[in-house]
Amino acid sequence: MKKDGIIYTVVFSFIIAFLFVFLLSLAYGATKEKVAENARITEAKAYLSAAGIEIDDPGKIESAFKKAFPSFNEKAPYNTTTIDSKKIIVSPFSGNGLWGTITGVIAVTADLKRMVGLAIISHNETPGLGGRIEEKWFLDQFRGESISAKIEVSRGGGSGDTDPDNSKVDSITGASRTSSAIEVIVNGKIDELKKMIGGTN
Amino acid sequence: MADSPSKILKENIWYSNPVFIQILGICSTLAVTNNLINTVIMTVGLMFVTGFTNVTVSLLKNLIPRKVRMIVQTLIIAFYVIIVDILLRAYLPDVSKALGPYVGLIITNCIIMGRAEAFAQSNGPLLSFWDGITSGLGYMWVLMIIAFVRELLGFGTLFGMSVLPEGFTHWTIMVMAPSAFFLLGTFIWISKTIMLKNEGGRK
Repeated sequence: MKKDGIIYTVVFSFIIAFLFVFLLSLAYGATKEKVAENARITEAKAYLSAAGIEIDDPGKIESAFKKAFPSFNEKAPYNTTTIDSKKIIVSPFSGNGLWGTITGVIAVTADLKRMVGLAIISHNETPGLGGRIEEKWFLDQFRGESISAKIEVSRGGGSGDTDPDNSKVDSITGASRTSSAIEVIVNGKIDELKKMIGGTN
Repeated sequence: MADSPSKILKENIWYSNPVFIQILGICSTLAVTNNLINTVIMTVGLMFVTGFTNVTVSLLKNLIPRKVRMIVQTLIIAFYVIIVDILLRAYLPDVSKALGPYVGLIITNCIIMGRAEAFAQSNGPLLSFWDGITSGLGYMWVLMIIAFVRELLGFGTLFGMSVLPEGFTHWTIMVMAPSAFFLLGTFIWISKTIMLKNEGGRK
């Protein structure tokens, strides 16, 4: 068969594409469970972190999660649990960032007066700029923040806003659009929770 | 055509370095170099992909019809990149999260295609593997230097550890992509000056 003939070209292309795709699907299949487990751990870690429990050892996250959220229902729009004898509400959120969807978990007190915490599960923001929304200094600003008024993510002193009563959070330098996306997402989610649970406050 | 391994090494690391002489792979040079850890993983990934793509192309070179040569090379590159992505996702989830879309973008790194087309198409598998690895090294050391400066001035850290005193004002520009242009430009300037001086000395 001629090497540059059309039949050889078509057959060769077909075989080589088949071969490589086959190998890829083998690799994908072999790691599928591990990847799913990693995703579960990431999510559980975000819930714990939003509720104020920081655990770094990946082996201990699942058991800690079961302990903190004994009656967790992943299909429900929100879950309630009691941590350190305080009743809190946790809820997953997702919204538009600058480049893609930002997903995460928000935790608020049962009376919907204060935030307990915020955690990010996934995002596609610029590494080093918008990507810093998942850093501790940024997320810690939301701890205990008053949500009686809307939370404002704005330009502050540059070292984070530690006052939990002013509903203000210092935004990220060089990432104004990601910061305002977070503001919109968090306030939207809080409004949604207030409407859903409204009767209790 | 058969170059000695040491000559290939010298060419890829210095005389025809993929980044500052051939100006290839600039997209990722700008994108990942604000953080040393990401840079190391990205460049190791690239080294792996370039090395194995070269071997595979070299092994298949007599079977590949000329008409579909490029597309087959792209297929092979994509194959190895997805393998890297799958491995990172399964065994280094944190890194995979940090690098995000950049792993997939290794596919578009011209260094790999360039080496496959210019070297592996006309050389044996072992030599091609060596060429791929050394090209990756040439890419790595330049990016590491840029990342070193950018992370140090942009975050005050090296490999995520604080090294500069508390009061240090971070240079936000170093975190953003444009600073890589300045640094790469400076890098080309210095390396070219050294190169021209050496050539002048030889005459």
